[in-house]
Amino acid sequence: MADLDAVRRDLERALGSDAVSADPLTRRLYARDASLIEGDAGLVVFPADAGQVVAAMTIAAQHGVAVVPRGSGTGLTGASTPLDDAVVIVTSKMNRILEIRAEDRLAWVEPGVFNLDLTTALEGTGFHYAPDPSSQQVSSIGGNVNTNAGGPHCLAYGVTSAHVLALDLVLPDGSLVRLGAEGPSAPGYDLRGFVVGSEGTLGVVTAVCVRLTPNPPAVRTMLLDFADVEDCARTVSAIVARGVVPAAMEMMDRGIVRAVEAFAHAGYPTDAAAVLLVEVDGSEAAVDAQATEVEAAARSNGVGTVRIAATEAERALLWKGRKAAFGAIARIAPHYHLHDCVVPRTKLAPILAGVYAIAKRHELIVTNVFHAGDGNLHPLFSFDRSVPGTLERALAAADELVRLCIDAGGSLSGEHGIGLEKRDFMPLVFSEESLSVQACLREAFDPNGRMNPSKVLPDGARCGEFAAAVIGRDGAIPEGTWI
Amino acid sequence: MDLIHPHSAHDVQEALRECAASRRRVLIVGGRQHLDKGNPTEVDAELWTTLMDQVIAYDPAEMLAVVEAGMRLRDLREVLAHGGQEWPLDEPGDATVGGVIAAGVEPIRRLRVGSMRDTVVEMDAVLGDGRRITSGARVVKNVSGFDVHRLLTGSLGTLGVITQVALKVRPLPKAAVTLITREGGLALGRRLLDALWQPAAILAEPGRVLVRLEGWPSEIAEQAATVRALAACEEAADGTFADLPFPDAPILAEVGVVSSRLDQVLQGVGSYRALMSVGTTWVPCSTDEELSLLRARVAEAGGVAPVVRGSGGLGDTPLPAGELHLRIETTLDPASVLAPNRAWAG
Repeated sequence: MADLDAVRRDLERALGSDAVSADPLTRRLYARDASLIEGDAGLVVFPADAGQVVAAMTIAAQHGVAVVPRGSGTGLTGASTPLDDAVVIVTSKMNRILEIRAEDRLAWVEPGVFNLDLTTALEGTGFHYAPDPSSQQVSSIGGNVNTNAGGPHCLAYGVTSAHVLALDLVLPDGSLVRLGAEGPSAPGYDLRGFVVGSEGTLGVVTAVCVRLTPNPPAVRTMLLDFADVEDCARTVSAIVARGVVPAAMEMMDRGIVRAVEAFAHAGYPTDAAAVLLVEVDGSEAAVDAQATEVEAAARSNGVGTVRIAATEAERALLWKGRKAAFGAIARIAPHYHLHDCVVPRTKLAPILAGVYAIAKRHELIVTNVFHAGDGNLHPLFSFDRSVPGTLERALAAADELVRLCIDAGGSLSGEHGIGLEKRDFMPLVFSEESLSVQACLREAFDPNGRMNPSKVLPDGARCGEFAAAVIGRDGAIPEGTWI
Repeated sequence: MDLIHPHSAHDVQEALRECAASRRRVLIVGGRQHLDKGNPTEVDAELWTTLMDQVIAYDPAEMLAVVEAGMRLRDLREVLAHGGQEWPLDEPGDATVGGVIAAGVEPIRRLRVGSMRDTVVEMDAVLGDGRRITSGARVVKNVSGFDVHRLLTGSLGTLGVITQVALKVRPLPKAAVTLITREGGLALGRRLLDALWQPAAILAEPGRVLVRLEGWPSEIAEQAATVRALAACEEAADGTFADLPFPDAPILAEVGVVSSRLDQVLQGVGSYRALMSVGTTWVPCSTDEELSLLRARVAEAGGVAPVVRGSGGLGDTPLPAGELHLRIETTLDPASVLAPNRAWAG
């Protein structure tokens, strides 16, 4: 076991005492992300620039201590939850936008820059940063890179990986490498692509070169309501079948619509079984053509009303309803467990029926707001954990939900990642050989297994003792874990 | 030269196990369309993927096609066209899906359709020592585990044999047109780029600019009018934009630099075809010296210039994280039998 006092002294000497914290409150604050899992932070470090990250990583390497990188802590899977007194490297002070180069359609940013702050900084340039996770007001670009974050507009524009041209990464041994390229092709293997979505297990990202997307000349946002959830789900496939790939296609069921309306007053119809928020963009002509197809697809699938945002203000209001969804759910019950899985788009209707059945079986309230166009579900179970047995039911429901999605040919996660929460489910989707190759590649970056250990892969080196800390497994809550 | 012509991933496994054991070096061959890309390599055998050419699953409503990697693009196009869709690569029909992916070929219509790398959502592969893996998932969006398929994409056949892939496909455009302007140059290319929303491609040459427009019929009419207002032009045959340019040049380099450095790189260059905004630019060279001079200028601009037709390899661009590359290569191809030295070297 490393001597944390010695690590702290070295870090303070190199970074200054303001940049290192060992006080119990800070350690407690950084002992968890936005998931239900709590760990133990040994030290918390707040580097101000890449040089300080290099220094911190070098010191961690010298002392042989584990490191957990962290952005804003909005992750939902425990990927930035430190275990066993690891050193948490928080990138939130590295929040400068380094360079915006509209001609090359790129910008360099530090990892702590909030997603929405980049979008705000780009106003007036004619460009935007396309990935827009619902957490965008507070989630950082570095965190987005590490989870390969999605968002409503990733349907047409692609997830984070499609918008990261290059990145600077400090490897576990303290060396700094630039992966990818500003230009269209980079020499070597696509290490950039391998690092995006690696959940902080390969190094600490210290700068990101993002692609800028030209703003569409026209946008049309439509709200479709349905008396039947299945009709709504079928409309999603029908729109795609007509050759339309909307910029976004978001589905919300009655439970979430009612919570949102009481909170955001977006004018959503509270009597509908489900609503579909569809946005098309492009030239005026393209928008007209796509909107016509969307409406026709909805009409042939039993849509109630088709509301088209007439003004920018109305459009903003419709989106406010969607983006405020997770703020609104506190009205349903004090605690929630938000899920993330992807299923084939054509199976949305039966899967939703399955989700409702699981909730009913475990006596939980479930609401659904999700990226329907991608088949990316986000069932949200609300509960009050002070009621004995409720939490256990929520965890049992989570287990069933994962299996439901996998059995339908889906994947474990669309955008939240694996972290601790789902790592023991990995053998459901990957063979032993595939997992072992993943572990070997991880080792190529991190030979000593100090970089965010125990995350993503099951039963990897040195993570055996934490296997029990994974919620979802048999619905058991390990002793000493804070939920 | 020995020939290995497997029918299945299982055959590939057996062959590579044997090759690894006997240190027999192998070149993986698809449709022979992108073999010039890469550094010279000496091998003892060729492994042809072309018998693995079946469609495994295709449902247009999912916008995903699962195919074996030896399938020719010509056949894939036909299958997808029945569903009103396409995998937007404009490579020759003889090229195989796996060959295009391994060579890291990007769509010419990249501005509108995005990167090829983002279309490969799941991959089955056999590694250099016969281990068989799956990476990714058969859905359009996925974050589960480490994306090994990202490393194999563009690896020039040095890390494993791609045996099967799930590809994200897209609707065929409802309308399309290729326009050729009577004047050329990068400046005109930029003006067209600024005036158009998501053109499929703007390819600037010294004497003309090829503009490829795709979309809804009314959208194409609107955009074509915009082009005509900016430059006199005429309509060209549909596929004109897609063919690799300068067929008579002995060496064709594919320059990759950021757009703002293009003028500097192309100063004094008599022939080029530049993909505006993307920065990919094809430059013909008649001699090795010409190629070296071009590469020196490209290096100054922070870019790369691999040869895609003729000899000249990838160039001696310094490889960042060279040691990491080596460790990855050793992890996936421990016996170093897959086209040794063909990939970028540190």
